[in-house]
Amino acid sequence: MQENDGRRTGEVDPKLLEILVCPLTKATLEWYPERRELVSRPARLAYPVRDGVPIMLPDEARALDPDE
Amino acid sequence: MTPVIFDRSLLARRRARALAERKPGADFLLTLVADDLADRLAAVDRRFSRALVIGDPTGLLAARIAAGRVDEVVRADLLVSGLDGGGALVLDDEALPFVGGAFDLVVSSLALQFANDLPGALIEARRVLKPDGLFLGVLAGGDTLTELRQAFLQAESRRSGGASPRVAPMAEVRDLGGLLQRAGFALPVADQDRLTLRYSSALALMDDLKAMGASSVLADRRRGLTGPALMAEVAAIYQEMFGDPDGRVRASLSLVSLSGWAPHESQQKPLRPGSAKMRLADALKMPPRTEDD
Repeated sequence: MQENDGRRTGEVDPKLLEILVCPLTKATLEWYPERRELVSRPARLAYPVRDGVPIMLPDEARALDPDE
Repeated sequence: MTPVIFDRSLLARRRARALAERKPGADFLLTLVADDLADRLAAVDRRFSRALVIGDPTGLLAARIAAGRVDEVVRADLLVSGLDGGGALVLDDEALPFVGGAFDLVVSSLALQFANDLPGALIEARRVLKPDGLFLGVLAGGDTLTELRQAFLQAESRRSGGASPRVAPMAEVRDLGGLLQRAGFALPVADQDRLTLRYSSALALMDDLKAMGASSVLADRRRGLTGPALMAEVAAIYQEMFGDPDGRVRASLSLVSLSGWAPHESQQKPLRPGSAKMRLADALKMPPRTEDD
């Protein structure tokens, strides 16, 4: 998992994705490759993924719009 | 509600700045702790399938752990991305973003001294471990920076007749074993290594702390700049109280090492009180008491 091909493609390592959850609610995340975001529905937050690196900090997450 | 001791977003900014500046030699403590943790892990006769490494901005610790009996290492950066592209993700060790039981080894390096909720952070480490998984951690504690605390206290009370918080409160090794147990770890162990660092002056020590991203992040700190006059007084008091004959000054550092296992059937555990099937006297082969005794 250290040698992450996602650095080139911007994708999240699938093995990492399998064990990632929302840090606040521990809920399963949805991966939106087009926006490069990991979405936690219960927390209404979208965690950014920068160069394939998920930033799992609520402070840096985007609050979901009401219609999202 | 946990009291907020540390301003964690300020900590993130301090770490980001320290990593951007990358002062040569500022990583000596990370290297020391990486060696210590790798040695401790080498003494454990086990193979681990997936390890989480927290607080490794240089990547050295993950490399050392990966060189041992560990199949896969997830290097996680604390609050800000690390050097050379950083780790696999960025996280907050007080709220880990992993499913329960995702790892069989969790290693935390110089991160827990900044936790607002230390028991909570230990519970999080325990949660992401499989049964019989191992937690290893090193944090600054005990009398770390006690000299700087005393010098600030004296200088501020002399100048303004009061003192403000300058040096973070440190966890004591005697409390940490109990905290590990409360967090649900079996076979908890906490011990400390006391080091003395030497600097040309208190100002050089503070420069080094800044380069490590470890200058004060106390939530209740005094806002605004600390004036040069106060800093000069701190340095003079420090020199007077903790100076060596060669003109250099001493700084204490206590590195507290923690280890604990996620509970599992196979581990040794004490029997329930009253469950003994044999008398202690028989076990000790003591002669039976007689009327003359």
